[in-house]
Amino acid sequence: MEGSKTPDGTASPTRKMPAGVTDRRPRAGWNGYVDSKVSYPPVEAPGAVAPAVELHGVTRVYGARGAAVRALDGVDISFPVGSWTAVMGPSGSGKSTLLHCAAGLERVTAGRVRVAGRDITDASDAELTRLRRTVMGFVFQSFNLIGSLTAEQNVAMPLRLAGRRPPRQVVRDVLAAVDLADRARHRPAELSGGQQQRVAIARAMVTRPAVLFADEPTGALDTRSARTVLSMLRAMVDTSGQTIVMVTHDPAAAASADRVVFLGDGRLVDRLDRPSTRQVADRLARWEE
Amino acid sequence: MLGMSWSTFRDRWPTFVGAIVTVCLGVALVQSSLLTLVSAATATVPPGLSPAEERALRDGYAGALSLLGMTLGLSVFVAVFIVSSTFAFTVAQRRRDLALLRLTGAGRGQVRTLLVGEALLLGTVGSALGALVGLPVMRLQAAMLCGFGFVPAGFAGQWRSWVLAVSAGTGVGIAVLGVLAASRRASRVRPLEALRDVGGAARVMTAARWVVGTIFLAGSVALLVLVPALGGEAALPLSIFVSFTLVTAFAVLAPLVVPLVSWPFGLVFRGRLGTLAHANLRADVRRSASTAAPIMVLVAFVVGMAGTMGTLTEASRQEVARDLRADLVLDADRPVGARLAGVPGIGAVSEEAPVVFDLALDDGDGGLSYEATDGLAVDPAAYARTHRTAVTAGDLADLRGASIAVSPGYAPELRWRVGDTLPVRLDGGPDRLRVVALLPDTLAGPYFLLPPEFMPDAGPRRYAVQAADPPAVAGRLAALGQVTGAEQWIDAYADDQQRQSLDVMVALLGMAMLYTVLAMVNAVVISASDRRGEFATARVTGLTRGQVVRAALGESLAVVVIGVLLGALAAAGTVAGIAFAVEDMIGISAASPPWGLLGAVALGAALVVGAASVLTTLAATRTPAIRLVAARE
Repeated sequence: MEGSKTPDGTASPTRKMPAGVTDRRPRAGWNGYVDSKVSYPPVEAPGAVAPAVELHGVTRVYGARGAAVRALDGVDISFPVGSWTAVMGPSGSGKSTLLHCAAGLERVTAGRVRVAGRDITDASDAELTRLRRTVMGFVFQSFNLIGSLTAEQNVAMPLRLAGRRPPRQVVRDVLAAVDLADRARHRPAELSGGQQQRVAIARAMVTRPAVLFADEPTGALDTRSARTVLSMLRAMVDTSGQTIVMVTHDPAAAASADRVVFLGDGRLVDRLDRPSTRQVADRLARWEE
Repeated sequence: MLGMSWSTFRDRWPTFVGAIVTVCLGVALVQSSLLTLVSAATATVPPGLSPAEERALRDGYAGALSLLGMTLGLSVFVAVFIVSSTFAFTVAQRRRDLALLRLTGAGRGQVRTLLVGEALLLGTVGSALGALVGLPVMRLQAAMLCGFGFVPAGFAGQWRSWVLAVSAGTGVGIAVLGVLAASRRASRVRPLEALRDVGGAARVMTAARWVVGTIFLAGSVALLVLVPALGGEAALPLSIFVSFTLVTAFAVLAPLVVPLVSWPFGLVFRGRLGTLAHANLRADVRRSASTAAPIMVLVAFVVGMAGTMGTLTEASRQEVARDLRADLVLDADRPVGARLAGVPGIGAVSEEAPVVFDLALDDGDGGLSYEATDGLAVDPAAYARTHRTAVTAGDLADLRGASIAVSPGYAPELRWRVGDTLPVRLDGGPDRLRVVALLPDTLAGPYFLLPPEFMPDAGPRRYAVQAADPPAVAGRLAALGQVTGAEQWIDAYADDQQRQSLDVMVALLGMAMLYTVLAMVNAVVISASDRRGEFATARVTGLTRGQVVRAALGESLAVVVIGVLLGALAAAGTVAGIAFAVEDMIGISAASPPWGLLGAVALGAALVVGAASVLTTLAATRTPAIRLVAARE
């Protein structure tokens, strides 16, 4: 999508931060916003609805002392149930790391991560595997389907891995929900990019996960396919209260979300609620200046 | 997970072709060797043969048994080796897919199950094919054994249906053993690797490789230290073992050793292409290592075994040359001693008659088992004049009556001493012989000297003759039998030995070569199929197709050279050990490295790998580069 026109006609902002510019703005205004503006009862309170995903003071450092890079620097954020959050920021701002840490794919250097009310910070591999089968779904830029399996088999895979015999009807229904009922027997190579991404979404949704993690889900799609995919995700949030955490570069994709948070140098630097594409693009341009 | 295994298998079968052919070949050889082995072991000796004929027949069967046994062991070893490197390679290629599985919720155990499932399928297909291929192989093996003179004409392996169970077990066993290490690696793939490149090449040297490689390397060093410490006959098998352990160590440590050895190539590889080839060689350690490994194994086996046999043959030739103090050798088919004495111009003559007798050896639980043994009946005084006899204890002159002189090296564990009595069975002779002298260790024989009383009245005789004017005397002796100058006789003797060992070599190594050629081509083909993107990038950057092919060829040839060097090093361990053991035994240093064979093997490997590399690179660069580069993201 880089350099192409977004649906409302604005040029996509360039990805790179100008050389030598480091962003060291005061954090006070942003750091506390999760707690002050979107306030949820404490997780431990009886009867409370815990956020789908919570990060507390999460720091992730790559490399050893000399060449250490702080990809995330004390991030506090929670993703409420039934909400769609887009995470934006320039390349190297830490948005992918945020997603990986939230999903337990990477260990955090400091801080705690909770998913669906469970602390996964120090979870074992077996525990994380179980969570990936039950409460997390993943969708990525490169559709990541298994080439030797049909669409139907790809969708059924998570259930099979969990040791359940997937009822054919369930698989069919999920495929129908992404408008691919007639492509069930096709292999990925026989599907267009947009169709493959919809199969990937169906696969992520078949376990009815508490949270769907999406990393640039429209990054490899043409504008039309991207719009179809985004409206499907929107429908999932609106009708069945799906929680989505999505990393993206694309202001149009971000504008489909309930809110957009901006990362810079591993910190939360800004947020927008229910923004338009233009607002996102403007804000992004400001942060990338 | 098995359904999943099936669909991967169906989809990626080209990757598995090499492994299937390997398993098929392994199963065919195991099945055929086993059936032939059982047939040879249970073969009955027809009645009415003379003791010597019976003896020759039994020896032949015994030779066939040991050849078949070696074939069995070698085919299983090499097959497991090739299958495991194939799987290691496919796992490296499929990291992303495996990570994706982990991401969608597969546990570590399930990833392992997936790979073991693939191995089971591969093993089943390979076994089925192998059981079929085994039938003609068995006929071929029988014909070969017959041709070498191990078994009488008309010998054939008999079909036994239980072998099918063994074949299936072997095929599946080879495949599953081969997949074990790779599946452990696969289960460690992190889900995150589905999303970004984590730099898989950086972690080729795993902890397991370190441990196993170090153990084998330490084992090889220990063996090399043990060989001189043990000395003598016991050191021979240990030395042969050295090349096995060394080559395994090199193969396991290849990701470490190959770049190390490739370092000096930087001095040779100059210019744009050379630099690229050298960089590729060092960058993709796994690829270089998996092509170099089979070449190492091939060179280590072929050169190690040829060197062993060459060294032993050369040493026994030198031993005979040192010990024979005659000018002429007369081979007669009947005793001609009396007529010989009348020939003018003759000095000392030693009459020697081959005698087959049964020697009783303790069978371990107090009983005695008799074993047919070759001895030489001689007149001790004449023998001592025409041969160098460095008796280590006793006196050869006492060889009269019920007595025997022995070389304790024949059965070191029995610790024969002068004065011992050996239970024997001898035609018309006594049933106990007293040891009167101990002969030194020998490679060429004889191990047993018997007194002249035991010379049979008829039968072949050999005469070692001293003569002042050998050519003239040779003319006069021609009527009595076949006369040869001592030097020619020694050379003929060595040639005969060499030919026998060459036959065995051809049988064993032909098979090993077949395997390793398979493995080499397999490695080149699998890796080239993975490099389309890389080749395309090189071409977009400005290289022509020809230059890409040349760079890949240079890289492959460098890998061949590395493999040959390391394999030769492993073989050198064996040859050095053998040479040392031989020197310790008979005081002759006769290391005889098979340079010609080494050159031929290196050339052959270079041709095969070079051709495979050029063909696969051409195939991988057929699509216009820009399409591949553009299609990648």
